Amino acid sequence: MDLATFDLPTFLRGATQEVFDTMLSMELTEQEHKAFTGGSRIVGSVSLAGSVSGTVNIHVSNTFATQITANMLGMELDEIDSDEEVHDVIGELSNMIGGDLKSRLCDAGFTCELSIPSITSGKDFSIESKGWAVNEIVYFQYQEHIALIEAFIKNGS
Amino acid sequence: MGIKILTVDDSKTIRMIVKKAFRPYDCQIVEGENGVEGLALAAKEKPDLIILDITMPVMTGAEMLAKMKEEPDLKNIPVIMLTAEAGKDNVMKIVQMGVKDYMVKPFKGEQLIERVTNIMPLAEKKADAPTEEGGGSKYFSLDGDIQMLAVPAKILRPTIVEVETQLKPKLKEMTSGGIKKMILDLTKIKETNVSLIKLIISILDNSQMAGVKVLTVAGASLGKELKDFQETGNIPIHFSIDDAKAAF
Repeated sequence: MDLATFDLPTFLRGATQEVFDTMLSMELTEQEHKAFTGGSRIVGSVSLAGSVSGTVNIHVSNTFATQITANMLGMELDEIDSDEEVHDVIGELSNMIGGDLKSRLCDAGFTCELSIPSITSGKDFSIESKGWAVNEIVYFQYQEHIALIEAFIKNGS
Repeated sequence: MGIKILTVDDSKTIRMIVKKAFRPYDCQIVEGENGVEGLALAAKEKPDLIILDITMPVMTGAEMLAKMKEEPDLKNIPVIMLTAEAGKDNVMKIVQMGVKDYMVKPFKGEQLIERVTNIMPLAEKKADAPTEEGGGSKYFSLDGDIQMLAVPAKILRPTIVEVETQLKPKLKEMTSGGIKKMILDLTKIKETNVSLIKLIISILDNSQMAGVKVLTVAGASLGKELKDFQETGNIPIHFSIDDAKAAF
């Protein structure tokens, strides 16, 4: 199978919406491109390596990350009092979305392994990822919050 | 005590979701962060069931399972694998490892319970059964004719559920035993949050309905904070247990 025919847009949207719906009871709606404007945010990332390599990132504002954490753990917002909890939850979300994508790739014949999630946090930064064969960036909205999900894939070495 | 379950996952989030799923049932949850810890805990605790993540640092779930299968004492413990990967190859690999079942993330707590009950029965927790998070009944103690209710330092939503679950039968027990006084001891609390306010209101409302008089004891700082909340602003606060006892 040619990697260019891999239906990344459908798989990425489906995985993201399923994870948010099942784990967080949050129904996402897709939005036009909306850049993150300032403020602190958190990026959860997982990487793929094998006959394809790639990366999946989920960007959310700190405020949305806290809301996600509260929903995931069944807690009140003001009970979330450590970055550790928030980072762990965002990492786990990227693991679930990346895991689904990995499964789709393996089923399509692109054997690969999934890394353990990593977290980047800060404010006013951008991540540029270049040199990929296939990529997809999707903006989702939940109430006033935005989640940016991006995936990049290329043939492995 | 019911069954003992070992959950092994590098994600605290998943371990918390697993613990929450089993909260209504009579079971003890033991946690490990990776395969090495999981293996040591399996040998020490001899759990009735292991819920095991695959992708973990230090030692993966697959490696831990392979090592368990080499140990006569551990090889028959049923294992449910958790994986973020639903791909055919991955599922085949998991099945060949000799696990009882597997769950693909994302999953809901009730789905996990359903899988577990296919393997072994789960008994619902009795109202007075202490929980693995400190024991709801341990919040209550009797001091003469006064029932003491000492809440823990940090109030989270599960604590509310736990205390409320214990409170109703305790109030019944008190009224049938002729005990009509209770001291709500908040002295361990260092800061207020919404859950604490909800818990205080719930305790006072339930006690009033049962005809039990409650006096509240808190530190000076918490007492001042409670005065600032509309919901708790009118509650008289005593600053020591002795003061409260004397006020009855």
